[in-house]
Amino acid sequence: MGDTLIIPGRYDKIQEACQFVAAGAAQAGLDDTAVFHVELACDEACTNVIEHAYGAEDVGQIRISWEVQADRFVITIHDNGRSFDPDDVPVPIPKDVANGASDFPRVGGLGVHFMRKLMDEVRYQFEDDGNTLVLVKVIE
Amino acid sequence: MAIQQESLHSDVWLVRADGRLDQSQTPLLETALNQLLDDGRTVLIVDLSQASYINSGGLRCLVSAWRRAKQQDGDVLLCGLNDRLQEVFTMVGFDKVFQIHPTLTAAQRAVKKGK
Repeated sequence: MGDTLIIPGRYDKIQEACQFVAAGAAQAGLDDTAVFHVELACDEACTNVIEHAYGAEDVGQIRISWEVQADRFVITIHDNGRSFDPDDVPVPIPKDVANGASDFPRVGGLGVHFMRKLMDEVRYQFEDDGNTLVLVKVIE
Repeated sequence: MAIQQESLHSDVWLVRADGRLDQSQTPLLETALNQLLDDGRTVLIVDLSQASYINSGGLRCLVSAWRRAKQQDGDVLLCGLNDRLQEVFTMVGFDKVFQIHPTLTAAQRAVKKGK
């Protein structure tokens, strides 16, 4: 079970990618909450590709695939942009939200933070042909 | 996505954001909030009861407006979040940043009480 979609790297096309993985997640048996998590994680991943790997809209394509591996719903997102490792992005949320820090609330890196919180596994790889991000949600 | 705004009374403005607050739609909300803040309207209630979705870009937009309002002794209050939106705010601790009210009436009451 699985499918692949290729979209142009534009913000107005991300919703199509989200709907594509959400439909796959529902087909794979994830519940409504998990489907929402998958949709939001895919949104943030595609947004990061445009913002960081391509650096702008309409620079390249994004290939989104999903497949079911045993009890895991696996999304693979590939682009041909420059290297962008989500692990390099610091967690933006301070431990003490009431600490009164002048820069709180910090909002940089929110998308990566979402991916880590929403998915059971986030893996990244950079090769000659671009970035590959793998997002895994366990099917419960 | 549609953005509507109206004056509730003297210096409190309501902004309604419908649909998806994502990377392609959020700029509309950002423009509306910035325009109000530029005009010195610093107490804003954002009604999200018809908003179905929000991502990090939507959050960034709201936090940016909240920060600007606070710098001018104002505030940005939120109301009407559905369960999905509430979950997103809670996930990043922003439920402790914003005043979040279940209804517009409750948000208006809070503004009056705070005066």
